[in-house]
Amino acid sequence: MRQTEVIQPEESTQDDRYTAAAAEFGAGLERLARAYEADPERRRDLLQDIHLQLWRSFAAFDGRCSTRTWVYRVAHNTAASYVIRERRQRSRLITFEELEKIPTEQPAEPAADRRRALEKLHLLIQQLAPTDRQVMICYLEDMDAASIGEITGLSPGNVAMKIHRLRNVLSRRFHEGGWHE
Amino acid sequence: MSDPMKEIWQNQELEGMTMSLEDIRRKAGKLRRRILWRNAREFAAAALVVPVMSYFAWRVATGLTRVAAIVCIAGVLYVVVQLYRRGSARNLPADLAASGWVAFYRRELERQRDLLASVWSWYLAPLIPGLALFIVGGLLQPAAHLRHTGLFIGGYAILAALAFAVIGWLNQHAARRLQRAIDELNALER
Repeated sequence: MRQTEVIQPEESTQDDRYTAAAAEFGAGLERLARAYEADPERRRDLLQDIHLQLWRSFAAFDGRCSTRTWVYRVAHNTAASYVIRERRQRSRLITFEELEKIPTEQPAEPAADRRRALEKLHLLIQQLAPTDRQVMICYLEDMDAASIGEITGLSPGNVAMKIHRLRNVLSRRFHEGGWHE
Repeated sequence: MSDPMKEIWQNQELEGMTMSLEDIRRKAGKLRRRILWRNAREFAAAALVVPVMSYFAWRVATGLTRVAAIVCIAGVLYVVVQLYRRGSARNLPADLAASGWVAFYRRELERQRDLLASVWSWYLAPLIPGLALFIVGGLLQPAAHLRHTGLFIGGYAILAALAFAVIGWLNQHAARRLQRAIDELNALER
């Protein structure tokens, strides 16, 4: 994935920065919202909230990190706060470590059924605790460990450990039994 | 892109939702109104207590109970100012991107922990002088229509002390729980 160049603060206004970021990362933000909320109505609200917070945040954009890091920090912090707020009414969230210990009931998904695999992936992500969910989404967006650390605030060691665990989880649930491209 | 799940994830079908700047500004306005309304609700109790106490101090009370009512009003106003300053409920801050999730969430937990741990100094203690003066005033100037004034005032004092102790304990307990969550987050950064 392309690393966006740092925009200098004086070069654009809050509106311009937001418009450019929304055009470039809109699809990624929509995928992110989908990973945090399954219900379409609530998801739309969450996505709107992310866009609003993004627009607000660009008033204080100081160019110290890449636009991509900035956008995903805002999006993850907004979405994870939403999950914490909503958690009271929902079932407990789990970590990669706990997921690794849960035996898989069915054999891994056959490669042909992409739609079913995606549904299963969404279900899996929505069970995860905020930090692990952020790592998973960043990983699926093809970010490297350094970017994931910048966005989440996790130490490099923790990022590496979590990626290792999430690969195990994905491999056990999706790749075993002949997933090949 | 070595993991096929990444490919499936990135090529999923999307609705393609966009927001115009006009939509954003409308939503920002709605958010501001919601915050104003929420703050108004937080201060509703004070809006009720202050006029009632003021009327009581002006028209009904005499001597020490009048002083007690005035001290109560001052205590409630102090709590209101603290509530506003410390922000018991808060919207997401504008500097959301200043740090990653771990630091952001820890800051929020620390704020809530400090708010709960210091509940005695900013919420409970300011209300005690007024209530104590009411008790003393009631003992010194027993109401004519009440028999067993001492018993009534004593019961009231015990109930009030018990309520304060329970509120204080619950808040300390919640603050300790938040501290455990903060310790877990700290471990993630090491």
